[in-house]
Amino acid sequence: MSAAKKPPKGDGLLPKELVESWSKIGYGLGALGVAAFAAGMLGADQARFGAAYLVGFMFTTTIAVGALFFVVIQHLTKAGWSVAPRRIMEWLSQGLIASAVLFVPLVVMAPKIWHHWMGEHAAHDQVLVQKQGYLNQPFFYARAIVFLVVWALLATWFYKLSREQDSTGDRKLSDKLQVAAAPSIAALGLTISFAGFDWVMSLDPHWYSTIFGVYIFAGCLLSSHAMLALCIVRLRKDNIGGNLLTVEHQHDVGKFLFGFVVFWAYIGFSQFMLIFYANIPEETVWYLHRWNHGWHVVSMGLFLLHFIAPFLMLLSRTAKRDPRLLAAGAGLLLFMHWVDLYWLVMPNFDEHFHFQWVDIAGLLAPVGVTAAWLSKRVLADPVYPLKDPYIPEALKAENL
Amino acid sequence: MATSAPVTPGDTPGTRAKLVLGQPTFKTVNEDIASIVESKPTPKYLLGLMFAASILLVMVGSLVKLVYSGVGVWGLDNTVFWAWDITGFVFWIGIGHAGTLISAILFLFRQKWRTSINRAAEAMTIFAVMAAGIYPAFHVGRVWLLYWVFPVPNQMSMWPNFKSPLLWDVFAVSTYATVSILFWYLGLVPDLATIRDRAKTKLRYLIYGILSLGWRGSHRGWLSYEKAYLILAGLSTPLVLSVHTVVSFDFATSVVPGWHTTIFPPYFVAGAIFSGFAMVITLMIVARKVLGLEHMITIRHLENMSKIILATGSMVGYAYAIEFFIAWYGAVEYERYAFLNRMFGPYWWAYWSMVSCNVIFPQLFWFKKVRTSIPALFAISIVVNIGMWFERFVIIVTSLHRDYIPSSWTYFTPSIWDISLFVGTFGLFLTMFLLFCKFLPVIAASEVKGVMPQADPHGDDHHGKDEEAHAHG
Repeated sequence: MSAAKKPPKGDGLLPKELVESWSKIGYGLGALGVAAFAAGMLGADQARFGAAYLVGFMFTTTIAVGALFFVVIQHLTKAGWSVAPRRIMEWLSQGLIASAVLFVPLVVMAPKIWHHWMGEHAAHDQVLVQKQGYLNQPFFYARAIVFLVVWALLATWFYKLSREQDSTGDRKLSDKLQVAAAPSIAALGLTISFAGFDWVMSLDPHWYSTIFGVYIFAGCLLSSHAMLALCIVRLRKDNIGGNLLTVEHQHDVGKFLFGFVVFWAYIGFSQFMLIFYANIPEETVWYLHRWNHGWHVVSMGLFLLHFIAPFLMLLSRTAKRDPRLLAAGAGLLLFMHWVDLYWLVMPNFDEHFHFQWVDIAGLLAPVGVTAAWLSKRVLADPVYPLKDPYIPEALKAENL
Repeated sequence: MATSAPVTPGDTPGTRAKLVLGQPTFKTVNEDIASIVESKPTPKYLLGLMFAASILLVMVGSLVKLVYSGVGVWGLDNTVFWAWDITGFVFWIGIGHAGTLISAILFLFRQKWRTSINRAAEAMTIFAVMAAGIYPAFHVGRVWLLYWVFPVPNQMSMWPNFKSPLLWDVFAVSTYATVSILFWYLGLVPDLATIRDRAKTKLRYLIYGILSLGWRGSHRGWLSYEKAYLILAGLSTPLVLSVHTVVSFDFATSVVPGWHTTIFPPYFVAGAIFSGFAMVITLMIVARKVLGLEHMITIRHLENMSKIILATGSMVGYAYAIEFFIAWYGAVEYERYAFLNRMFGPYWWAYWSMVSCNVIFPQLFWFKKVRTSIPALFAISIVVNIGMWFERFVIIVTSLHRDYIPSSWTYFTPSIWDISLFVGTFGLFLTMFLLFCKFLPVIAASEVKGVMPQADPHGDDHHGKDEEAHAHG
């Protein structure tokens, strides 16, 4: 093995100055988030803030679920290359612990958010009466608790064992993680699907689409990889991770990002095309709400900026290896992920497309709290799994 | 769950199991693979070929009857206007998907174990597409006018219906067949050249010489080859998804309860890969034994494939569950009826066969003992293929047989010609596969050599010591 292929020296910790400045940003965002939350709660239009907060909550939660999925599937497939970026995803997945807390305001605002089926008129709605076995408050909250607890536990456990291996280097831990990965993937797939049905699809409780859970899941994958790409670019700028986190890993993450752009578009298109073609009023109405009264701008924006533009931006090898181009694509996708969630949620509250400042407040609150929590939770830990048995393979990763 | 299962020697965290067992050299790999082509066919092989060819004759006979008498010989009626025909088509197209997945997606994912099985899986893909093509080709009735499905400019300005998913099928499947053949052939070139170079007879030298397109194995040749291979892999990756997506559109774009549901595209794709891998396992278990390739197509290869079957089978199970849930949740009475009717209506036996074959039995693959037992693998792979046939039958026939007007309700039973044609397509598939095994290199020798330790330019495949150093470094 040539001399260049040694893991980075030292303890793998972030430099002190960086930890300090990033913590400042994290806590700053946290303070801003709390302020935004207070302002939103005291504001005039609480239903609007509730909707905006739901968008923000889904934004941070989907990123974290996607990150957890990445961690789990790397163990499941016994991947070698991904050891280098895995720790970053382990960090991002810790956001799920914040999400469990961030769900509480949603409970408070629930009657305003899911008012179509939680409100009184639901009892007189012939369709909703038939759905009461599923769409009722106790069951809804029980499911939410299951989702959030499963996610928080999995995120904690997978990270805990990975950190344990940092000090012991015990290969049995990898065995354990690999064995647990398969059932965990199944649990993640089911919980995120039903979370999507519950929290987003049931905003319009008459409407239904079997692919909706997969659509939300596609968003998880895309946004978490976009976040990962941004983190890699930032870390590599200061040469953190040295020759373990190289342009090759950045390239690989870029490929996944590109792949998930297409996957998201594929799932979105499948849903749209089949509903458009069959032209059944109960189904098409959902897209009508996202087309009339100015919403067509957002719909077309999704098509152009969530698919066409990033597809072209990330297609070439050069773009995936150039930190600035990759970061531009990832940044755009992250923003568009928020737009996507906004597009899913907001037309249920406002027939007309109006952007309002509370929409930003609703995003800032969960993002700020999650950022502050992550600063506290992860920044002091090593930036890669120090003694993972697959490190030699990760060092060899190469895109020919 | 957490008890550490016994692992294949070498396949522990940080160390990869060997892909080729024994003490192989580049020479023995060539020898093992090329000798199959060079040796005389054994009586067993000829017997097998004769058996397959006689089933092929059943197909030919069924087609003659079909063309002579018309599509009326099938068991279709006005209500169930599609049954075994489209079931057979989707069944075979689905089987093809494993080949593309292995050759394209696993290649992009740098899954080196694919090298032992990709050639045969790709061949299987092509033969499965051929078997599938029989159905639409002959279902048009006048098969000699089949070219009308293509938008051929004509005086009468008669065009195919571009709005029909069936026409999209024409484009999707023909693209798929073309790219699969190109990909397969490109991979074959270096191996064909190997056989040419080893040829002891003029005829063999001539035939394989022409087929290998003047391959010289030069540096420049390999450079272009690797690039072309990567590009083709990139281009075929969307094909793994697109073909069965379009096939699912045949049903999902309509307003038939049980057919129109948005999850169909990814669900069909997962099912296709599921059935394709099952077929690869079935064929490989036989081929590795008969052709003596057990050291190249190892248990670990089979185990990996069984894991993919478990994963895709679970996705299919997820789709069944979500469809059922949303049929209830959607509160549309027709949808609710369609799904209850599937489970408890006249075709209950088909539905429950499907669920047990596709969802319940593959769960046995959670156990390593099952994943590494040849008889279990063989049995489950066949069960899965039966289940996937039933899946298409259930979707197609149970949705159709209850029309909107109860007076048109029927119960479909296949005619003898439905059955004979379907059985016959297996003859086509097996005959082609057996011919492939004899005349072409069954395993991509050049690629297998590429993943052997000898091919590693760093020569650092001896993990143990290096790693210990890192662990303490």
